[in-house]
Amino acid sequence: MLRQITAGLAGAALLWGASALPSLAGKADDTLNWATDREVAVVDPYYNNTRELVVMGHLGWDALIFRDPKTGEYSPLLATKWSWTDNVTLELELRTGVKFHDGSDFDADDVVYTVNHVSNKDNGVLTYNNVKWMKSAEKLGSHKVKINLHKPFPAAIAYLANAVFMVPAGHYDSAPATADGKRDYGAVKPIGTGPYKMAEVKAGEYVLWEKNPNYFSGTEKPLPKIGKIRFRTIKESNTQIAELLTGGLDWIWDVPKEQAERLASAGPVTVKNEKTMRVSYLAFDVDGDSGVKFFADKRVRAAVAHAINREAITKELVGPASVVIPSACHPDQFGCAQDVTTWAYDPEKAKKLLAEAGYPDGFEFTIYAYRQREFTEAVIGDLAKVGIKAKLTFMQYRALRDLVWKGQTPINHMTWGSNSIPDVSAITSHFFSGGRDDPAKDPEVIEALKVGDTSTDPEARKAAYKKALAKISGELYWLPMFTYAKYYAWSNDLNFTTTPDEIPRFYAASWK
Amino acid sequence: MVQYLIRRLVVAVLVALAVSLITFSMIYLSGDPAIALAGETATEEDIQNIRRVYGYDQPIVVQYVNWLGRALQGDFGQSHYLKKPVADVIFERLPTTMLLGFCALSFALLLAVPLGVIAAIRPNSLIDRVALAIAVVGQAMPTFWFALTMILWFGITWRLLPITGTASWANFVMPSIALGYYVTPAAMRLTRAGMLEVLQSDYIRTARAKGLSGSSVLFKHALRNAIIPVVSLAAVQFGFMLGGSIVIETIFAINGLGFLAWESIQRADLPMMQAIVLVFSIFYIVLTFLADVLNAWIDPRIRVA
Amino acid sequence: MAVIETKNSLADNKPSAAGATPGASPQAQLWWRALGHMGFVFGAVVLLVIILMALLAPYVSPHDPYDQILSRKLIPPAWFDHPKATWDHPLGTDMLGRDYLSRLLWGARISLLIGFAAMLISMVIGTTLGVLAGYFGGRVDAVISFIITTRLSMPVVLVALAVVSLVGSSLTVVILVLGFLIWDRFAVVMRSATQQVRNLDFVASAEALGSSTWRILVVEIMPNISNQLIVIATVEMAHAILLEAALSFLGLGVQPPEPSWGLMIAEAKGMMFFEGWLITIPGIALFMLVLAINLLGDGMRDVTAPENRK
Repeated sequence: MLRQITAGLAGAALLWGASALPSLAGKADDTLNWATDREVAVVDPYYNNTRELVVMGHLGWDALIFRDPKTGEYSPLLATKWSWTDNVTLELELRTGVKFHDGSDFDADDVVYTVNHVSNKDNGVLTYNNVKWMKSAEKLGSHKVKINLHKPFPAAIAYLANAVFMVPAGHYDSAPATADGKRDYGAVKPIGTGPYKMAEVKAGEYVLWEKNPNYFSGTEKPLPKIGKIRFRTIKESNTQIAELLTGGLDWIWDVPKEQAERLASAGPVTVKNEKTMRVSYLAFDVDGDSGVKFFADKRVRAAVAHAINREAITKELVGPASVVIPSACHPDQFGCAQDVTTWAYDPEKAKKLLAEAGYPDGFEFTIYAYRQREFTEAVIGDLAKVGIKAKLTFMQYRALRDLVWKGQTPINHMTWGSNSIPDVSAITSHFFSGGRDDPAKDPEVIEALKVGDTSTDPEARKAAYKKALAKISGELYWLPMFTYAKYYAWSNDLNFTTTPDEIPRFYAASWK
Repeated sequence: MVQYLIRRLVVAVLVALAVSLITFSMIYLSGDPAIALAGETATEEDIQNIRRVYGYDQPIVVQYVNWLGRALQGDFGQSHYLKKPVADVIFERLPTTMLLGFCALSFALLLAVPLGVIAAIRPNSLIDRVALAIAVVGQAMPTFWFALTMILWFGITWRLLPITGTASWANFVMPSIALGYYVTPAAMRLTRAGMLEVLQSDYIRTARAKGLSGSSVLFKHALRNAIIPVVSLAAVQFGFMLGGSIVIETIFAINGLGFLAWESIQRADLPMMQAIVLVFSIFYIVLTFLADVLNAWIDPRIRVA
Repeated sequence: MAVIETKNSLADNKPSAAGATPGASPQAQLWWRALGHMGFVFGAVVLLVIILMALLAPYVSPHDPYDQILSRKLIPPAWFDHPKATWDHPLGTDMLGRDYLSRLLWGARISLLIGFAAMLISMVIGTTLGVLAGYFGGRVDAVISFIITTRLSMPVVLVALAVVSLVGSSLTVVILVLGFLIWDRFAVVMRSATQQVRNLDFVASAEALGSSTWRILVVEIMPNISNQLIVIATVEMAHAILLEAALSFLGLGVQPPEPSWGLMIAEAKGMMFFEGWLITIPGIALFMLVLAINLLGDGMRDVTAPENRK
């Protein structure tokens, strides 16, 4: 019996050893390998709302307008000119001579199709907020269109440049039907005009992109230089680091601070800490829906705010590019007023406030979180010092969000990346307009945000947002914590520039 | 014999049914499956629609029978996340995990059986003690620590082995060792105990008395008999190893069933979770059934028991 | 795992009452054999030390295990040649500047608690089922055997992960889930042990004397299977501790800031390529604990039934 097993095994090993060893990745075979811990099954920027697809969106597709990630300036991309004919109508002239990956020409029909498809709620675009401001598009000429809005939407150009990618007319027609009678649009083979075209995908393993040799030039979006870009799924961060150090990967991010600092001196890699649009916050159960009444008392919320040493967390745990924020938005976002009530680190004052509120010996509650456990642990440690005992329940994002929507969390420590949209409407209005995520449902805030979201005068918008943000921080519906900063690490063979919007531009990368 | 097998088969089928029932009821641990399925932007109307389409509005017994009926035809429904038939995704990734399990088991047996045999021939010798040490150490080190330590030495420091992927046989070396090591102690003890027992049995003594050479007795007669329980242990362990592959596949970025299971758990992809638990269980049930058949075939006493 | 192994070792395993040899009192003989068994002694000593660590944690810890000072994070152990190393933190500090020795001492409590509580739950479930099946036989046995087989065919890690992720993780949840999942070996072993004891003369005579079933189970059966029970208990305790470490690795074990050893290893794994001591310290602690429990169990098996290890 043993002999048979051994013989069989030897045979299998021989057969198998004959298959080719993998060629070394990286510069040698002109392939940029990057990895995250997530699995990419759907390669479509509308039907996959993960960060990976935001990144790949800019590889495979183009928006009508280009936003320079460094300066924030807008410049022509698929559209050569655009102008507002009134508050709710945007007219655009389109570039000629652009071809999709399948060889078809890009023209007004494609824009009309794309806009009408994605803005239709029935088509189930996952981050509907990105596209719901558009009502429809109409063809004005072979390369001229207009986009109609539901109501004035000041952040329109920002959304158009970052989140509305053009697909060819009829692109989603071949989508198969699913069990619930809808269509699975994510299953369609991805086609865009972008600098790279998708070559292969294997869910859970990789997505391979190849240079688009016919990519149009003459815009701020550069021509691709590296031949292939391969995304890989590697769950374990130690494994990612091991592969980066041994040349199996060329680029990773989300490296924790301590590892990043040591990685910088460990091998042939460049390490950089860069801002992101993501912010961290504590949301309080202001009206006691969760059954825990402590945080209905503003003094208790203030005690929590004074107890947490946000500066130390930022400095010691997050990274040099992270800053403490006073208001419920990212400082880089339009309308994010900074002159609101601030809550300095002052544990003595926190204890006094707790005593005033009737809890001289503190109390116990459960804090909920889903991301970067050590950040929440630091919060718990700080709270313990003023006598508040917080127990951590760490969950998956989706499960936690459901609890938040049901109002069952006394405090949730969460984060929001605003889909990289540089406008307050992408965060404050998302959370405080009275919806499921709104911890306070304060009519004054809701009204102010409404004004800010619809006014076209930038100054009027700023004033309205400031009113809302001042109330949120003043009443402590949220304790805004800090901006996230990400550590990137990449091979020294690679020319790569980080951007503050958390979207690595691999199409601009090259080999040294 | 036939009667015994039929009885075992009936029990195996009943066990499979019980497991499927438990697996199915997992869906209700997470609260309302329709809300989880509907996603972020869903309205109350969408949720109602999903409830109707997926049958969550029917009594649970009806739901179970429907689910089971479809599962028997190989239809485990659609993955909520991957939007593909669950069965397709599982069959796509099963071979990788099977290969890993097979390699791990081979490693375990190749290490455990020789050590067990030597330990039995020379009880309380140095080798016996080394074997014992390997056994207890293997039981006491968390898998992920062991696996990461291997990556550190063989992957980074000495650059002897590739760290991730499934491209060649070399990719399977570290994961197989990490996964197989935990089976080694049990297999080794069993081999040792079996050998000891057989070596002292009458017919081995007779064979020796007849003047057969030492190694011939050892391998032709003793090992052949001692190995039987090890083989059935191996069958059972194979099923367990598929489950243990979660941690190993996560560390070595192997796109198999274990990794899929973990991803599905994180995404709350219930149809996928249900199907994977069921598939792992069925594997175990089939393998133990085969082990029973094997034992019954070899050892006639069992058939009447 | 190792179901067959235990079955096999039982095949020639006799209850201790029958295994005692004449001469000195059986109790004393047992002790002498135990003391002569190296593994047993080593296991017992190490386990005792860890239990002492756990009990004395509040008195001997140099710092509060929860007290974080972010500016003092990742100080290496005192004997390291490093400017930050200090005997104020003999084993250094963790990622959040908490004293590592204190966390290790307090962590001993949590790890022992998990191992012990999960083992206790599984022992109650497994022994009840096993003894009932073994004593009554027939239909009861058939039903319980079926339950055992069903449980055996569910992959433990996978089911534990699925349940914990769906209901949310905490110390209690981890203990309960593990306790309700790992009773199979108790049930299997207790069932066959009871079957053997049941056929012995003194049980038959107790039955003949009209003792109640309950009384027979408690007075006659239980004492005679308790040796094997303790052996399984050690195996399962070690099993539970390792399972918690695996759950912690995947982020679904004990929740911080509670310092279990499994969690400390999981938290330190990110630094393992750079600050190896961070994972080695709790790793060795956990390793020693599991090793000690296993050696103790092995020793107990050898000592109570020496004819097994020839």
